[in-house]
Amino acid sequence: MTNKHNHPSHDNWEAVIGLEIHVELNTKSKLFSSAPNHFGDEPNRNITEVCTGQPGALPVLNKEAVRKAVQFGCAIQAEIAKFSKFDRKSYFYPDSPRNFQITQYDYPIVKGGTVIAEVDGVEMSFAVNRAHLEDDAGMLKHFSTFAGVDYNRAGCPLIEIVSEPCIHTAREAVAYATAVKAILQYIDVSDCNMEEGSLRVDTNISVRPKGEKGLRNKIEIKNMNSFSYMEMAIKAEIFRQIEAYEKHPHLPHETVIHHSTYRWDPEKKETVLMRRKESADDYRYFPEPDLVPIVLTDAYIDEIKQGLPELPLERERRYVRDFGLSPHQAFALTSEKRLADYFEIALKGCSNARSLSNWILVEFPGRLKDKGQDVISIGIKPEHLTSLINFIEKGKITGKIAKSVVDDMVANPGKDPSEIISANSDYQPLDDQAEIERMVDSVLASQTQSIVDFKAGRDKAFAFLVGQVMKMCKGKASPQIVNDLLKQKIEKM
Amino acid sequence: MYQLSAIELRDAFLKGKYSAVEIVKYYLNRISTYDNQIGAFLQVYEEKALQQAEKLDKKKQNNEKLGKLAGIPFAIKDNILIADELTTCASRFLTNYRAPYNATAIKLLLEEDAILIGKTNMDEFAMGSSTENSALQKTHNPWNLKCTPGGSSGGSAAAVAGRLCPIALGSDTGGSTRQPASFCGVVGYKPTYGRVSRYGLVAFGSSLDQIGPLAISSADVALVMEVIGRNCPHDSTSIQSGPEEYLSDFKPSMQGLKIGVPWKFLKKLADEPKKAFESGIEKAKALGAEIVEVDLDILNSSVAVYYILATAEASTNLARFDGIRYGQRSTRAHNLDEVYDFSKEEGFGPEVKRRILLGTYVLSAGYQDAYYRKAQKVRTLIIKSYQKAFSQCDLIATPVTPFAAFEIGSIKDPLQMYLEDIYSIGINLAGLPAVSFPNQLTQEGKKPLGFQLIGPQMQDRLVLNMAHILEKELPFNYAIPELVKEKTHD
Repeated sequence: MTNKHNHPSHDNWEAVIGLEIHVELNTKSKLFSSAPNHFGDEPNRNITEVCTGQPGALPVLNKEAVRKAVQFGCAIQAEIAKFSKFDRKSYFYPDSPRNFQITQYDYPIVKGGTVIAEVDGVEMSFAVNRAHLEDDAGMLKHFSTFAGVDYNRAGCPLIEIVSEPCIHTAREAVAYATAVKAILQYIDVSDCNMEEGSLRVDTNISVRPKGEKGLRNKIEIKNMNSFSYMEMAIKAEIFRQIEAYEKHPHLPHETVIHHSTYRWDPEKKETVLMRRKESADDYRYFPEPDLVPIVLTDAYIDEIKQGLPELPLERERRYVRDFGLSPHQAFALTSEKRLADYFEIALKGCSNARSLSNWILVEFPGRLKDKGQDVISIGIKPEHLTSLINFIEKGKITGKIAKSVVDDMVANPGKDPSEIISANSDYQPLDDQAEIERMVDSVLASQTQSIVDFKAGRDKAFAFLVGQVMKMCKGKASPQIVNDLLKQKIEKM
Repeated sequence: MYQLSAIELRDAFLKGKYSAVEIVKYYLNRISTYDNQIGAFLQVYEEKALQQAEKLDKKKQNNEKLGKLAGIPFAIKDNILIADELTTCASRFLTNYRAPYNATAIKLLLEEDAILIGKTNMDEFAMGSSTENSALQKTHNPWNLKCTPGGSSGGSAAAVAGRLCPIALGSDTGGSTRQPASFCGVVGYKPTYGRVSRYGLVAFGSSLDQIGPLAISSADVALVMEVIGRNCPHDSTSIQSGPEEYLSDFKPSMQGLKIGVPWKFLKKLADEPKKAFESGIEKAKALGAEIVEVDLDILNSSVAVYYILATAEASTNLARFDGIRYGQRSTRAHNLDEVYDFSKEEGFGPEVKRRILLGTYVLSAGYQDAYYRKAQKVRTLIIKSYQKAFSQCDLIATPVTPFAAFEIGSIKDPLQMYLEDIYSIGINLAGLPAVSFPNQLTQEGKKPLGFQLIGPQMQDRLVLNMAHILEKELPFNYAIPELVKEKTHD
């Protein structure tokens, strides 16, 4: 699959990608009604006459949602519109109780903005076109003989974050989306749970030969409920479009790829056509007469700016600067706020930030990823990680033993590593100098050829000798001590 | 009893002259006697109204505090929601819709001990000027049964004119309380936009709609406005102000009032309505008002502007009536598109379809600039013209309609019907308060002709105050149609 997407002739093409990210805000009530904004309840519990579009019901704007939208705008250094308004967007669908959505058409609340994300170790800057407030639709539920509508989600507040078409690869798209998600979590405006649909990404993709100026017809991909699916979908779609153009080099390009909507099929691992857009949809936007415009003051915007917490980018840079992490490590840690928070708690009373970061980002995920878990979700306390690192740092356990200790920590989350180590004699560090010496002597006595080789300048022979001693002590002796002893003894020989 | 105004009726109840049950029984009896000819009511709440009256009588016996509207039977236009009752909007489509909540106006009426006696007929979804567009029944003008009562609040106007209840609520999007009031010889009021909550009023043109009372006198209207004219947290366009006292602050005279008249705009008025209007103006002068001329020629565009903006809003407001959640679902439908197509085809009447199509068209890509946006610009000009006019006067006077009530079935061309609203719809476009009250009867046919006073925004009290002074002096003098007069002594 991956190889297929790296066809050499495809290097002459470039993809142009724009993302529309729909984010459900975590307000207490819905955008225009007092009904609870809550996921996962019995169908049609969280509704009022406004959510179901009862005749005569009128929308009243939720100020908390406005605040959260402005927080996001401030976090991406966007212009906050002092005047914005709502519009009706008309389309017929059974999950839309009024058959129009209330959204912001020509005067969005957030204009412009920049999101900085790390792509393959390099910081890249992505331009945001706008972010606007709108209400969500209900959900259709299909049963064997009929379909029903659950209006619990109808009227939940969304911000739609529209990027400029400034993204060119699947990895960039994922990095941008990851950074947006991180910002939203840091400022606590959304749960960003892709599986529950509180963060949904629509991707617009077109390709063109490198150097071509205009944009070709674009494809919209919907329903990608994870970033890894998104990455696969974008790669597959770019490949499909390039193949199509290369197969028909003489056809006018607008007849090769048509404006259409696709969805990602994770089973087939390909994009599947949903519908072709024959003509541009006519949503008949016009100003929502039931709502007054949103008018914001400088004081209000400044107060929100001042109140912003540390944002992921600042945190990432601080990790590189203060803890000496690599930009990649820092981005990976800070992209998940809870992971970064966990890291900082564990870092208290622990001297090696890079080692700590490595255990969090590499060792634990390696053991847990397949189970869909991580170090936090299985309940390993950050203090236990601190203590593990300190055992290693102080040379009380070797790296090899540490890995076994971590195996045990994963098997028994909540158990203190010091308990695990003291309860297992195999994990006890071997600090009896005489015992180690005996082992070194025994190895030297049986491996005379290696001594000769080492003296002849072959370093590998020495490493072999160290390995033999470590094997004999079951990895419990400090490799440093073994090293020193071996050198001393060989020199004397 | 039927000759009493709402205020007189309430006072009679408070003084113990009539019990609430007596009042309700009396009016229920009048409804059963006369409404088979008039057709004003779609539903009559016999049981519920009597229960309410019994409760009220008990309350009075117990010397509990009684509301401002205690004992007054109200009829409600059938596009205003009363919890647990049908709200049909006189549409076949909504004959199954039972309201799950009370409109704010209803809640406020009930808090002041009003008695809800029934729901009145209207043009379907308030679209029309004659109540002929009701899908449910015909309503006749109590002054002349061959004539329409006007519309769209024709049922409410006919009910008050026939003294089937002393007062009613209507709604006014382009003249829908004032024009039927004028046709039926009662007072009809359109408050400042945002004065009365629209919460629970089935929307037609959201930026134009207002609930307004229809009553025997302007004082009765003022009493109701004291109750329903207040800020509502469920309506974002509601004016941020508390309730206002009207009656106790009424000035006693018109002395020094400047009334503007757009004579040029009224040039095309026919002889009889013109003379009637002029004699009304003379009466105002005699009462101490000063008459000045104002320029409102721009109102010649108001009908066009209105039928673009109102239908644009209506096309989206009515989109929810699709047979999925609201409205009768067509039994012929086998898939989603058919549910939409057939349900609307069967459910909506021709005028509603016409307006939805028109509204959809003026909002469509490629046409929005030429129609919707241009109309919005002209609307702004209309607002400015009124502002300019009000810099020269306190109130503006015009007729309500070009003619008195027309016969049922006589206007076939929808455009001609739309032109009936020429004197009323500019007021909705500018969000102004305006009252229509009876001036005099025509020579031939004895049909009422109305007089209209218009105020600047927020001047609801002044408008009703001056109407209250003037209406008493006009020849109509609270006349009652022969049809509904009780032959025996009251």
